[in-house]
Order: sequence, then C-alpha cells, then structure tokens
Amino acid sequence: MDLVTILDIAIGGLLMGGIYALLAMGLSLQYGVARVLNIAHGEFIMLGAFATYTLYTAFGINPLLTLAIVGPIIFIIGFLLHRTLFTRLRISSPSPGAFESRSLLATFGILFIIQNLALIGWGANLRAYSYLNFGVNLGGAIFTANRLVSLGFAIGIGLAFYIFLVRTRMGKAIRAAAQDPATASLMGVNINRVLAICFGLGAVMAGFAGTLLSMRVPINPAMGMNYTIIAIIVIVLGGLGSIPGSFIGGFILGIIGTVVTYIEPSLSLAAYYFIFMLLLLVRPKGILGK
Amino acid sequence: MQILEGEGVTKYFGGLAAVSKVDFHVDQGEIAGLIGPNGAGKTTLFNLISAALVPKPGTIRFKGEKITGLKPHKICRLGLARTFQEVKIFSNMTVLENVLLGSLFGCSTGMSSADASREAEELLEFVGLSAVRTTPAKDLTLVNQKRIEVARALATKPELLMLDELMAGLNPAEVAQAMELVTRIRDKGITIFMIEHVMKAIMSVCDRIMVLHHGEKIAEGTPQEIAISKKVVEVYLGE
Repeated sequence: MDLVTILDIAIGGLLMGGIYALLAMGLSLQYGVARVLNIAHGEFIMLGAFATYTLYTAFGINPLLTLAIVGPIIFIIGFLLHRTLFTRLRISSPSPGAFESRSLLATFGILFIIQNLALIGWGANLRAYSYLNFGVNLGGAIFTANRLVSLGFAIGIGLAFYIFLVRTRMGKAIRAAAQDPATASLMGVNINRVLAICFGLGAVMAGFAGTLLSMRVPINPAMGMNYTIIAIIVIVLGGLGSIPGSFIGGFILGIIGTVVTYIEPSLSLAAYYFIFMLLLLVRPKGILGK
Repeated sequence: MQILEGEGVTKYFGGLAAVSKVDFHVDQGEIAGLIGPNGAGKTTLFNLISAALVPKPGTIRFKGEKITGLKPHKICRLGLARTFQEVKIFSNMTVLENVLLGSLFGCSTGMSSADASREAEELLEFVGLSAVRTTPAKDLTLVNQKRIEVARALATKPELLMLDELMAGLNPAEVAQAMELVTRIRDKGITIFMIEHVMKAIMSVCDRIMVLHHGEKIAEGTPQEIAISKKVVEVYLGE
C-alpha cells in the first residue's frame, strides 16, 4: 500500500465521518435529551436530501443555500411532532422506561409514513445531481470538492451547536434537561418546550446531513435506515450526549468504513455491525461516555 | 397572612396513603418546620406542593391562588422554590451555571444575561461559594452541593423557599452555618418551610412546627409545645 492510498483512505474516512458525526449529534439530542430513540432519524436525512435535490434541479437554488430553507421547515416538523405525539406519550407513560419503549414504537410508525409519502412524491428511483463535482488534489489523493465542502459544513455546524449549548440561555436549559428534566422544570424551565426544541434541532441536523449527502451520493426514499443505524452506532461509539464524542465516533466509523470498502466494498455495513457488537461487549458507555 | 395553605391534601401510592387528608398552612415571613419519623410523608408533601406529584384529592393554594394541577415551572415562576433531600444539582455544569439556570428561568419577567450573571454571583457570595464558582458542581463536597441548591433556589426569586433536610449529613459546625444561613434567608423577607431531622436545629430556628406520622398530621405548635407534646414524644420514642 503506497502513501497515496493511505491518504486516500484516511482523508476519505474523515470526509465520511463528518457527516456521520452530524447524524449522531442529531440523534444524541433526540435520544440523550428527549429520550426518544428515533428510528425515523434517517427519514429526516432523506427529506433533507430530497428537499435539496428538488430545490436545486427544479428551481436552480444552490444546494448549500438550501440549508437555510431545509433547516426551518424540518425544525417545525420535528418540533410539532414532539409537541403533539411525544409530549402526550411522555405524560401518559407511567415511567421513563415505558416512555422510551412506546416512543420507539411510535418512531417506527413515523418511519413508514414519511417513507411512503416520499415514495408517492418522488418514486423509488435513485436520483442524483452534479454540484462542485471537480477533483481537488490533496497530497496526491484526489477528492471531489463537494465532499470537502460537506466536511467543512459538518464541522462548522458542530462548532456552532457547541457554542449554542455553552453560551445561550436555551443551551443551558438543554444541558440541564439532559441531566435532570424534573429538577430543571422546578427551576422554571418549561420542560415540554425544551424537549420539543431538542427533538426539532435533532431533526434539523439529520436534514442538514441529508442536504450535504445529496451533493455526493445518489438518493432514494429508502436511503434512511442505513444512516439511522450508523447514527446509533456512532453515539454508542462516542458516548451518548457528547459532541466531541460524536465527532470522534463519526471519524472512527468513517475510517473503518473506507478501509473495509477498500478491501471488500460489500462488507462495510457488516463491519459496522461487528464494531457495534464488539463495543457493546467491551465498552458499552462509549469512548467518551461517563 | 397565609402564603401557603393545603386542604385535605392526600396522595396514595397503590393502596398506601403516603399523605392523608392533611390540612396545613405556612404564614408569610415565618420559618415553619415539618418533622416526623422516616416514611411519615414529609418529602411526599413537599413533592405535592412543588407539583412533582399531584394530590388526589386535595387542594393547595399559594398566595391565595390554587396551584394544584399547574406545571412545575409555572409554580416556580409564581415564587415557590425548593431544595432536595438527596442533592439534585446539574453535576456536569459549573457551580455558577447551576445558579444561573435559576436566574435565567425562575421568574417570568425577562432578565438580561448580564443581570442574571450579576445576580448569580451575588447569590454565590451570599452562600459562600464564590471561590469555587467555575468548578464543576460534581466536584464539590456534600455541604457545598447543598449550598448550590440553596443558591439556585434563591435565584428563582422565591417568596417561599422549601428546604428538604438541608442539614442531613452535615457535621455540627456545618449545621451551625446552615442554621445561620436559614435565618439570613428569612431576614431577606423569604418565608421558609423546612423538613429537618436535626432536632436541635429545627427547635431553635422554627417559629412553628408541624408533625407528620404515617401520612397524617398529629401535632402543630411552637417548638416548646411540640417538645412537650405527649403524642409527639410517643411517636419518636415509642410507648
């Protein structure tokens, strides 16, 4: 293996890992704070991807600019979904454990509804468009510009979110709610609203990941599930609720993915599962988990 | 004037009445004590008042307004705050951030973040935690964690502060400091309702004491009256 191949794999892994990190941060918010293990997470990725595809191919809107359209729309969908469905489930569930299993089942339903609506709207074919599709030479290894740009955006979104959590009033409420929702509400935090905002923000991150993915891979309405599984593996790998953990986990999984793909492409998903099971046996709280 | 009053407050867990038809009140400006053996229902009563639990049946009024059924954050914003028997701090946040949360969310009128920070700093000074303001809350000793809870509750600008066993687990010197803190809080004009097992403390700081036993109120009066009440002595020492 020469140096260029190694660079190719390493940088390729980081480029994939940035997207994985974004997915995982979103799921971390939904599962770590709002306690909803959202199996439909990947459907929001798919919605983001198709929204960008449609806006670009039908109206010629720059895919990166569609982030500004995709974000608010998906936030509202996620926020309302939590306010109507999950808030009700949370109040009617006798225990937090019961809420987790009930909301998990509910998200399966959401998965099928969104996926089938997308099939009606866009059909089952793979779709793709070409944007920033020229090569950039990094030390001999060549990557398309759209992959580099999407990594930059993923890191930028992660940083912005970190600053939001530490600096703002709502960020502090989210961190408090992640640790102890009942006590946070006794301090005057409107907990139902904060959890709905977390769910909405989690969906937005999935949508953003979808927008970025659509620039580099073909999309179809059934694409979500694989990414949901990847997001679950990354939050287990990096530790639930840790932003740096999401990035470390995302990059590790991205690199493992590209290494395995280099050796035998059809084994990459199997390798993810293998890592996942190994991790559950050896270090279930993740690399940075507390 | 009564700032807090409860009428027939009852809570069943399964078939067991944890709190049973309790009538109680707290007067504005006083330090009211709530005592009773373990399992008497004291913390359950606090949970009912702060809306962690909902009484069934029974009504609780705060400043004359019915608060049963309100969400916890609404009750907090009306001016009722509490601390916990087992400390419930936000352990990954700094001491200052814990208190800041109360300032930022505790009262319904908006507050600029600069004002909230200033207020949180003042409260840390008040409880004696300024030196550790940037330390993660989980790294503090129990007594200091309890002080965080007091400062955080005060940050919500309460008119009534409920303290659940503030002095449990503290050594005699710390108990003395805590007693002094309680009187200083009252001197700010805040009414206090406290659960306590440390008899010396509750007898010396309280104006009035209520005694719960098996979920029922069995006595009420000044510390002197409680100390000589035959019923109370029986409950605590056996017959």
